[in-house]
Amino acid sequence: MLRRELLGGLALTHLLGAATHHPAKAKRVIQVFLSGAASQCDTFDYKPLLIRKAGEKWDPGEKVELFQSNPGVVMPSPWGWKRYGQCGKWVSDLFPKVGACADDITFIHSMMSKSNVHGPATFMQNTGFILPGFPSAGAWVSYGLGSLNENLPVFVVMPDPRGMPPNGPANWGGGFLPAAHQATMVKVGTQTPIADLDPPQGTYVTPRSESDGLALLQRINRDHQSARPGDTRLEARIASYEMAARLQLSAPEVLSIEGESAATRKLYGLDDPRTSDLARRCLVARRMAERGIRFVQIWSGADNGFPRRNWDSHENLKADHGMLANELDGPLAALLIDLKARGMFEDTIVCWTTEFGRMPCSQGSLGRDHNPAGFTTWFAGGGFQGGVSYGATDEWSYKAVEKPVYCYDLHATLLHLLGIDHKRLTYRNNGIDRRLTDVHGEVIREILA
Amino acid sequence: MKWLLLIAVIPLAAQPVSFERTVQPILNAKCIACHPATNGAAEVSLASFGDLKNLIIPGKPEDSPLWHVLRGPKPRMPKGGSPLTVEQQRAIETWIVEGAKDDSKDSRWWSLRPLQAGPHRSIDAYLRAALQKQSLTFSATASRRVRIRRLTFDLHGLPPTPEEISSFERDPRPDAYTHLVDRLLASPRYGERWARHWLDIVHYGDSHGYDKDKPRTNAWPYRDAVIRAFNQDLPYKDFVERQLAGDVLHPSDPHAIELTGFLAAGPWDFVGHQELKEGTMEKNQTRSLDRDDMVATAVSTFSSMTAHCARCHDHKFDPIPQEDYYRLQAVFAGIDRADRPYDEDPAIAIQRRDLLQDRLALQRRIQPLLDKVEFASTPEIVVLDDRIQDASLLLAHLGTPKTPGQQADKQRLEARRTADRAARQQLVDALIGATTYNQIEALKLEIKQLDDRLAALPKPKLVYAGTSFFNRIGNFRPALAARPVHVLDRGSVTAPRQQVSPGALRAVNGVDASFAAVEEGARRAAFARWVVNPGNVLTWRSIVNRVWHYHFGAGLVDSPSDFGRMGSQPSHPELLDWLALWFRDEAKGSFKQLHRLIVMSQAYQQDSKYNDHAARIDADNRLLWRMNRTKLDAESIRDAALAASGKLDLSMGGPGVRMFWFKDDHSPIYDYARFEPSSAGAYRRSIYRFIVRSVPDPFLERLDCPDPSVLTPKRSTTLTAIQALAMWNNPFMLHTASQLAARVGGNIQLAAQLVFGRELSATELQLYRQYADSHGMANLCRLLLNANEFLFVD
Repeated sequence: MLRRELLGGLALTHLLGAATHHPAKAKRVIQVFLSGAASQCDTFDYKPLLIRKAGEKWDPGEKVELFQSNPGVVMPSPWGWKRYGQCGKWVSDLFPKVGACADDITFIHSMMSKSNVHGPATFMQNTGFILPGFPSAGAWVSYGLGSLNENLPVFVVMPDPRGMPPNGPANWGGGFLPAAHQATMVKVGTQTPIADLDPPQGTYVTPRSESDGLALLQRINRDHQSARPGDTRLEARIASYEMAARLQLSAPEVLSIEGESAATRKLYGLDDPRTSDLARRCLVARRMAERGIRFVQIWSGADNGFPRRNWDSHENLKADHGMLANELDGPLAALLIDLKARGMFEDTIVCWTTEFGRMPCSQGSLGRDHNPAGFTTWFAGGGFQGGVSYGATDEWSYKAVEKPVYCYDLHATLLHLLGIDHKRLTYRNNGIDRRLTDVHGEVIREILA
Repeated sequence: MKWLLLIAVIPLAAQPVSFERTVQPILNAKCIACHPATNGAAEVSLASFGDLKNLIIPGKPEDSPLWHVLRGPKPRMPKGGSPLTVEQQRAIETWIVEGAKDDSKDSRWWSLRPLQAGPHRSIDAYLRAALQKQSLTFSATASRRVRIRRLTFDLHGLPPTPEEISSFERDPRPDAYTHLVDRLLASPRYGERWARHWLDIVHYGDSHGYDKDKPRTNAWPYRDAVIRAFNQDLPYKDFVERQLAGDVLHPSDPHAIELTGFLAAGPWDFVGHQELKEGTMEKNQTRSLDRDDMVATAVSTFSSMTAHCARCHDHKFDPIPQEDYYRLQAVFAGIDRADRPYDEDPAIAIQRRDLLQDRLALQRRIQPLLDKVEFASTPEIVVLDDRIQDASLLLAHLGTPKTPGQQADKQRLEARRTADRAARQQLVDALIGATTYNQIEALKLEIKQLDDRLAALPKPKLVYAGTSFFNRIGNFRPALAARPVHVLDRGSVTAPRQQVSPGALRAVNGVDASFAAVEEGARRAAFARWVVNPGNVLTWRSIVNRVWHYHFGAGLVDSPSDFGRMGSQPSHPELLDWLALWFRDEAKGSFKQLHRLIVMSQAYQQDSKYNDHAARIDADNRLLWRMNRTKLDAESIRDAALAASGKLDLSMGGPGVRMFWFKDDHSPIYDYARFEPSSAGAYRRSIYRFIVRSVPDPFLERLDCPDPSVLTPKRSTTLTAIQALAMWNNPFMLHTASQLAARVGGNIQLAAQLVFGRELSATELQLYRQYADSHGMANLCRLLLNANEFLFVD
């Protein structure tokens, strides 16, 4: 408490209804991170020029420095495009169900990254820095706002079951913030979704030894403490075992989707093997949001490697983006629909994030190389307008030319909606009052409802 | 925390309000972020006394603009921040009433002033003098049982054994404690414990970090060399010099070369270095950020300054111009992080060094020619490049063929690629011409002759270090000479300004901070000499404060790697300076003597008992009216649990123990859940574990073990439900508890002695026995290892 005030963080307690810098529009965030760099020009950034000039030598009028290759020919998206909703948004056939939600989405087409390498760029979207060692946005939110539900963690991450993204768990670490703010990893649908939540099977621990043991432990800790007054840490540690016991009861309930209706199962696509994993994770995310978890991050895509298991489609865009989009489209759209149906859409931010975009020209004959100069991200719910497109790339979908946006602005806007002034949420580390937004960031007011 | 404390210490109204000790710290805490030194620009600066002249009328707060904007419950300043407290406002008002005098001895920031000891000649005398001003005293000396547990954890990171406790408690010699201190400092466990602190400061890890986090299999010789340096009590000057330039200054000393692992301790971007093409902006950025890490690590470790804050602009708070930062980058501009060969035998070491230097000279000649070939380009070549890449991409995507059709595709693509490569080679050959090729071949022959001679030497050892002696891998190539370093406008590689020569911080008076050195190694040697110069006040203050921090749980300066304006100020400036001088001149940089001096002090040996009266005056115990109770750090918890269980394996050194399941994939996989707590090496001390950057050990991480990519001069301590669950349920803890149970049989007293270091009372024993009777000894031991009494050291 004292420490936070002095370090410049919000002077908040970790209690319900904590004060914010200004009234918050949103209470929580669900972020889907498309690891490996999802293409903007095959999803939401429609450029008819690519279709007209298909197969021609690509000449944007300047030297282009690519990650792996020389620029190839102009490559139109292998998917068709349709207009959706009142807003008439063009969305490719890769994401028809998300497209149908276009009126609820704010698209930002003028994203830029400071790195075209997955590791640093993935760090950037998560932490605001291209170097390791900085806290992720979720950790900052945990530090700034604390918990809505003392019996559950504040920040939860559900990685792709195929593996970790580039940088691994460092993407959702607490950096220099106290360890309490790092994400709790939840491996949905596995034997042990949360590490150490319960003792492993087949040990000497029994339900009785557990309950008697905790009672005795608390007793001896209290005896120890009463002989040592004036040390709040001893009390805090006693309390932490009580919280742990509550967490043991609440966590399985959040993860259990057995009670969900048949309609909900169908909406998310739980019973279709293609979508069942993301359906489960999106549904669990909704359950987490309902129960007060502040920040939920869902990963689509794991590390690099073959066969491709992330969005890094250097070799064969159609095959690899196609597979991943098939998994994600239905469950993600279902999440938006479900949040609306439950009246949670207004105070829950859903975001689509990727580390950079892909080139409008081909790499080899079937793939696309990295493009840090222009890509798309989107938001829905929680104080954003719907049916809006902000910023633009050039006619090729190559470079952000209109209202360029960096992650700093996204983070500033996100924090703003959560009631936090990004310039005043700071933590002193190695001589600098660090912020999620470094020394940058403007709230994008134009897209707020 | 800082300024509240200062207020507590101000004897109100007893003496005039000090600008230096009271007013300036308030301005620094509340104003300077928006009003830094402006270097003569028009904006308002509140950085120094001189800056305040126009804002203050001495004696007349009512007429002073500064006072007007700060006063009252809703003042105009600080804009957007909380107002000054009533006490702070009163202090500034009183200071103006009293004439607004500048009482600073020296206008420079405290850490840059000359070392100036006070009148006393012992730690206790300095501390007692400060306590007396507040009418406080030291607490009583702690019991022997408390002191041996405290001292053993402090110096070894391990608990004392029951035998050690009872023999110390019974030792009739008046200097029993001295004997204890000597015994502990002589043990190799001491080096293991204190090396761990050092590895925090320099962010040591056994993998690269970032994407494709590859194992760094030869990092450990540095870790072992640090342990050895502590155990052999290598003087601090030598310890510093060897870490920065051991290869240059002591080329035939293997341990000196191992210590250059310091330069490479931090993370490294595999993709950026090894996959990005030479000559691209992204490559330049990768290298610039790599040097940034070296600068940040070296300057914060040895000088406790935040030079890295001057990468994009002049330092906002400290006298570090942007150019100084890039001069520091130039110190490291000739090295990369790589496996470096070295030898045990001094004679071989010299032979190898000479051969490697000759080889470097040849590489300097051949590289431009090779680059001509590598970057040869015509439109026709580009077409072939694209076709070759296309084939490679499609082949990679195809993977292992599963159908005859795929098999045919694979063969077709491979044939096409082979033909294209041959055609490309022909085009390149025609472009380059025979003369160049002949030169290349001749030089290659010379290099081969050197390589044969190198191969004839005994097989070298390898240490992951800062070096230019490594062979190219992919697009990762050594600098053949120090790379040019420019001041970068806003830190951007796309906006280079003037080129700079190597140098250090010019703010340190009396030590030449501009280096004439041109050669790679000479640059680092010059920097090392700058650091260890007896006149470099930062060096000596920094290190004694670090040692103090680890002994007491808080430094005299509570920001051990930041002695700038954004850091804390010393609670006992004269003591800090006396210690620095004593360490430098009397102890000749001996850590063991410094430890002895500190742990023998009365301050260190006091009780940690709480005292209402003292706490009201000095709640944070900055004056040390009692010893701080400390919580065991992550590694100590693990090691102590193993020690109690009797399983602790004390074998020293060697490659890191992989306490995870590992698969070396495209992006390697580290899985801690698939590691058996009884596997080979699982009982080694925590310092010997293999430290993965991207996937930290989840158990230790929850116990506040820091991210190995972060420079950590001071660990944070949290107490969370997730942490409680880790202690309660982690397989390591359950396994260790059952080992402890097996060790003690049914002897509950022994278990308590091993874990708590004391005997149980009859009441406690009865409670524990009841529980053990119902649920078994393993469950009881699990409970003991979760008790606060185990985790906290009085």
